[in-house]
Amino acid sequence: MVANTKEVKENDICVQRISPEEKRELNFKDDICIGCGICEKICPVEAIDLGDIGAIERNEIDESKISVDEEKCVLCGMCSSACPVDALELKLDDKSIKEMDEYPQLIKSAEIDDETCIYCKACETACPREAITIARILPDRSKLVTGEIEIDKDTCINCGVCEEMCPADAIEMEHHLPTSSDPTISSDINVNKDKCVYCLICKKSCPVDAIKAVCRSCSYGEYDLKPEDSEIEGSSFIDDDACVNCGWCEEICPVDAAKVEKSYAGELDVDLEKCNACGACIDICPCNVLSFPESTKPGEIVEKLKKDENFCIYCGACENVCPVEAIDVKRTDVKFTPTKSKSWKKQLESLKT
Amino acid sequence: MRFVEIYILKINISVINTHGVQMPKHIVSGLKYLTAVELIRDGLSQKEVAKILEMDRSTVSHYLNGRNLSWNSIEVAEIITKFCPRDFLTLTYALLDNSEKTRIIVKTCSKKEFQANIEESCIGCGLCADTCLMNAIVLDDLKAHIDSNWCNGCLMCRDVCPTNSIKILEVENGC
Repeated sequence: MVANTKEVKENDICVQRISPEEKRELNFKDDICIGCGICEKICPVEAIDLGDIGAIERNEIDESKISVDEEKCVLCGMCSSACPVDALELKLDDKSIKEMDEYPQLIKSAEIDDETCIYCKACETACPREAITIARILPDRSKLVTGEIEIDKDTCINCGVCEEMCPADAIEMEHHLPTSSDPTISSDINVNKDKCVYCLICKKSCPVDAIKAVCRSCSYGEYDLKPEDSEIEGSSFIDDDACVNCGWCEEICPVDAAKVEKSYAGELDVDLEKCNACGACIDICPCNVLSFPESTKPGEIVEKLKKDENFCIYCGACENVCPVEAIDVKRTDVKFTPTKSKSWKKQLESLKT
Repeated sequence: MRFVEIYILKINISVINTHGVQMPKHIVSGLKYLTAVELIRDGLSQKEVAKILEMDRSTVSHYLNGRNLSWNSIEVAEIITKFCPRDFLTLTYALLDNSEKTRIIVKTCSKKEFQANIEESCIGCGLCADTCLMNAIVLDDLKAHIDSNWCNGCLMCRDVCPTNSIKILEVENGC
């Protein structure tokens, strides 16, 4: 008879069933799991149990966020299809069912269009999962200004006033202590042309008028500057393992370069009467939807909990973790690719509440 | 034609012992003999039968002429073929320890016909396909499909199905 084997390694779980015809392998990655419990709800054989995710998230206990009973699991793959963050993956003969058309897939995506992106890094900063990396190459500062500068080293008394005043740290002096053979305090003074912005502060502050400088952009406009020299180049990268398609990047992008499609739609209701402001939901929410409001003036009484439902993926983790049942997450829609299997369709639709 | 529920019986191993044939390979010879006879009756040549059963052609010829074979073995083999489908299949598989030959022998010697149906509640977990010793089940579009021609009615698939989606009935002809 065919029997399942299970291997648990650092909270990751692997359940396998190997027959002469086929190898089925279900992998669970604990670090990707957000503790939403959708797998527990969709499992047709009740093989999955959600752990005490509140305690796990707060590092009070060290165990897997879910447990899989290998005696019950039939390796059907429904948990793999419904997981909103791909923490579960079923492979048939080493090929993921996420690459197979016959298996329904959640419709979800997060993309940044590099053509439109201006590499401002707002999304990188806002992403609650630190899933976005924006690599940008800034233009050469020297190509954005034009001018001339010269220090008359014979007149210069090496006082260092210009060096101290320069806002761009463009003046470099060779300081040393005077000796009888060289009774000076600096052996050389130079302007780093890559740094100088021709602001003329050095010229104006020099006590002996040893600096001759002129800003050409001021006197003649910017005719000898090339517009292409001021372009910022870069590239964006979204880590699919970490991304939960919450939509923060789309919301914050000033040029609409980020587009996010969510699998689940619904409603998030918080009963502020019941809420005891323990913060468990804030800790577990993968999307930074929930927060404690800050008072804006002294003595102001704020609400216990604030929600930015825009960013909610309706995963239900907050509802699971709330100790006083103050949170109600309703899922009104589940978007998935078409499937011929009526039982799969029915089971996915059953996630609607 | 009518369809009836299948009943599973337990093997009465003493039947085998009372006939004084205990060696597995003797029983296997008996099963191969019965299979060879059926296949010849179906119009196959001795050469083809030898190939299917992975035997020498001369051995097939000896078998068919009743040589190199004890009649007790054939009697015991006949009793085994009349066991309930699951016992016939599992015992044959245990004796041969070879999936392909077990399939041929059971399909050829089984006189029963079955009608297998899979309901829409099937989730395509493939447990039935992995369990079926007759390799009669394949998955297509997240649903199992049973080839009734190869089904021998052992019901092991029905027992492992997590969603109770498999219905197999025996076809009784002439009723």
